[in-house]
Amino acid sequence: MADGFLKKDDLNRLRASVAAKGGRFVAPVTVARQTVFKETAPSDEVALGYILARNSYKEFLFPQTEAIAEFSIHRQGVELRGKDADARDTVIFGARPCEAASLASLRAVFTWGFIDESYTKREDKTVVITVACTSGDDACFCTTVGLSPESAAGSDVMFHETDADGWLVYAVTEKGRAFIEAHADAWSAAAPEDAVARTLFMPPVIAGVDIKKIGERLKKKDHYDEPLWAELTRKCIGCGACTYVCPTCHCFDITDEGAAFEGERRKNWDSCQYDSFTLHASGHNPRDAQWKRWRNRFMCKFNFYPEKFGSKGCVGCGRCVRVCPVRLDITEVMEEMSKRP
Amino acid sequence: MEEQLRNKAKELLETGCVKVVIGYGWNRTKTRTAPVFITRPEDADRLVWNPLCVNNLSVYLTRKFKDIQALGKPAIVAKGCDIRNIVVLITEAQVRREDVVIIGMTCGGVVYRQELWKGELKPEIMPTKCANCGVRNPRVADFVIGERSSFTPPEAPTGMVFDKIKAIDAMTPAERWNFWIGEFSRCIKCYACRQVCPLCYCERCITEKNMPQWIETSAHPRGNLSWNLTRAMHLVGRCTFCGECERACPVNIPLNLMNQKMIQVVDEAFAFKSGYDEKTHPPMIVFSPDDKEGFIK
Repeated sequence: MADGFLKKDDLNRLRASVAAKGGRFVAPVTVARQTVFKETAPSDEVALGYILARNSYKEFLFPQTEAIAEFSIHRQGVELRGKDADARDTVIFGARPCEAASLASLRAVFTWGFIDESYTKREDKTVVITVACTSGDDACFCTTVGLSPESAAGSDVMFHETDADGWLVYAVTEKGRAFIEAHADAWSAAAPEDAVARTLFMPPVIAGVDIKKIGERLKKKDHYDEPLWAELTRKCIGCGACTYVCPTCHCFDITDEGAAFEGERRKNWDSCQYDSFTLHASGHNPRDAQWKRWRNRFMCKFNFYPEKFGSKGCVGCGRCVRVCPVRLDITEVMEEMSKRP
Repeated sequence: MEEQLRNKAKELLETGCVKVVIGYGWNRTKTRTAPVFITRPEDADRLVWNPLCVNNLSVYLTRKFKDIQALGKPAIVAKGCDIRNIVVLITEAQVRREDVVIIGMTCGGVVYRQELWKGELKPEIMPTKCANCGVRNPRVADFVIGERSSFTPPEAPTGMVFDKIKAIDAMTPAERWNFWIGEFSRCIKCYACRQVCPLCYCERCITEKNMPQWIETSAHPRGNLSWNLTRAMHLVGRCTFCGECERACPVNIPLNLMNQKMIQVVDEAFAFKSGYDEKTHPPMIVFSPDDKEGFIK
């Protein structure tokens, strides 16, 4: 039984209702011929017929660039002033089940040992509205990593598209239920009779992939330096596109910017695919070839995340596959790894 | 053509003339091509040739790819436009002509982006460079595969990039500034433009020089502007308009516009087009008493 029904025409009412309570409304909009998650202005038209936004919405919880402190240097010494994260009530509309599942993984990293409040405070104030997928493309592979177009993990509210020009609304978490109640004016409590959920797009499971076997294989140290890695990933050019669109990649760097005597300390996204990522001050680089960097990303997804946090490193959204300039398809590597003893 | 290409690759590997053939192969579903590195003659049949072969593979000849260099002497499958980049690498002392075997492919054009391919190569899915291509018959190659193309490029270059440059040239400086700030605002600093570029071969990019941080790594307007402008300036007189940076850009920044504009400026100032002659040095790395000094006012 649905908890409500939202007519597509009433989406703007929901946006207005969120804005009236001081929240920001993040939704897919079309920018430069792409569907992109963006904090919407009232004039922005929300895109509806998309497969997946180009970017992951992680950037609204873990901004690509963020000042964490300000500094000034005086004759008497250095003055450092910390900056708190500006955590606002945020609604993410139009997430897909794959990327919603990534939130548990991000939270695991940002609360591991040290609580990174700039993440947790933002996530606590975020409501994720996921729209179950009715379309997909050949890069989608959620079903291969154990998810599906209706997985609810990570979502607070789930929408299902119908032929009645609107969505069936389901509360998934308590936060989601509270959100539905807080914006009760935007939707009708009962769905029209002809509102039947549309058939979902189910990407075919890639038969040759065995996630469990990949995990087992990556645990064995003698596979770490095998030539297979270089053979499979030699074409990687070492850009960071895959990591920046990935909903579970989370690495960052701290850098100081500004003039000689004052400036900001910023936290910027970084990528394990860059050769400077592990470059030591001595000049030594433990990952001195691109295949070693690529191996790291693969290990992170299928070994570090599952082993350390028991969470998914890869959610099968396929963004890295779509964006790669040399079409280094992670599922092809997964398939090869499943085949090998 | 594919058959001839495979036979040539096989022969080069069997005779030991080269240790690796850098070419194109299918992905699993045969919907996209991607770079492949063939080291065994029996694998030469993996090579393919079709209008989806958009990548400029000459990037793999640069010193960024030490592990590929370690494989031994390469042969490279290259379109005429890709060869222009190899020529620049030669003039900049990055590659010696005798150290690479160039398998030149005569070319009828490629798709702008592979996802546009619907089984037929139409002008509207081709990049601007293809409509104005003067190197469909590869010039500097050890072997040429394919029938000679009779295509002659139009006298006045045509296509979207040229039209847009005209429109941008007609803008006021303030409008132009706003246009580019808007475009750069999307930059996510993934550096795909740099990594895919055969001419961005610095082992230590200026963005990686962090004592002090010359180019801000932050993806804020100032950091994005300094990155994109610095990269554009480093390509002046060198860029061949291969279009890889724009193709690789995940956020659709029209880098081709900047690069083509630079090409026009260099051509006006020095009557020079990069990548045609491996004996001539690019204008930015030589001083000639004949250089125009009209910019000094």
